[in-house]
Amino acid sequence: MPPFHLIDPTRLAVELVYTLIVVFLCFTIYYKTREIFGLTKHDGIKYFRITFLFFGLAYISRFISVLLKLMVVTFDIYFPIHIFGIFPLLFIGYFSTMAILSLTYSILWKKLHIKHTFLLFNVIAVLISGIAFFSRSPSILILAQAVLLIFTSIIIAHYIFSNSRKISRLYILYILFFLFWIVNLIALGPRRLLPIEIQTVFQVISIAVIGIIYYKVAKWT
Amino acid sequence: MKRKRDRLEVIYDILKIIRHYNNSIKPTPLLRYSNLSSQSFSEYISELLDKGFIKEIIDEKGRKFFTLTDKGFEYLEKYKLIIGFIDEFEL
Repeated sequence: MPPFHLIDPTRLAVELVYTLIVVFLCFTIYYKTREIFGLTKHDGIKYFRITFLFFGLAYISRFISVLLKLMVVTFDIYFPIHIFGIFPLLFIGYFSTMAILSLTYSILWKKLHIKHTFLLFNVIAVLISGIAFFSRSPSILILAQAVLLIFTSIIIAHYIFSNSRKISRLYILYILFFLFWIVNLIALGPRRLLPIEIQTVFQVISIAVIGIIYYKVAKWT
Repeated sequence: MKRKRDRLEVIYDILKIIRHYNNSIKPTPLLRYSNLSSQSFSEYISELLDKGFIKEIIDEKGRKFFTLTDKGFEYLEKYKLIIGFIDEFEL
């Protein structure tokens, strides 16, 4: 009878390749928009590009979290997961919240005019990551981010609809991007929550979504 | 009614005027051609000088001229791409 905790090289390989592709695309978008931001100092471009910096960092933190989880179950080593396992959660919560808020603000900045925007985003991000950290539960993080995403999606939809009376393809792309992030967070929860096959399908589609955003950026930079 | 130009468009127009006049124009005609109020014009010129898009040159007779820097020329070249990018992502 095989040991209970067996290494799952397929899952590890899928996670690694997925993270590398997404992080590469996110950081390339950030880098490619450097020049036009330098020339314009445009607030929309500023928040758009830092979105992808934060998402890249969030995906790296997520991979570290998955890796820690796999190491514990694979090598059956003593690893104080209850201590070290929650640190990536702190970073995932912070970086992804900053990314979600930045992308939302990149569309709404002309209408909203919030003072001390970056400070406010930091407060919200620290609050959400703090909740995830102290509860030591990825489920709480998933829930908090889902609430944030629903809230921001409604605000963006209201803004876009009041402007053009139709939902643009870009809005659908952003909503999908947000949704796939939530699906990615589910991978941090209990294993039974989402089978690896379905998770892989979602990951392939999410690469396609980020790929489309990357293609749109590359067209102009 | 004419629509209000946004900040990037005004900057583009000012730089285009300077380039059109052999990359050397005095402040008064620049103000006239840029179609801005004196106050807005001063603010934009200060911004363009700060950002290094234009520079001030004073000739031997003490007359002041504005000329484009390399960064100013680069902005003019990339303007269509910048606007395309902003429209594409509704920024």
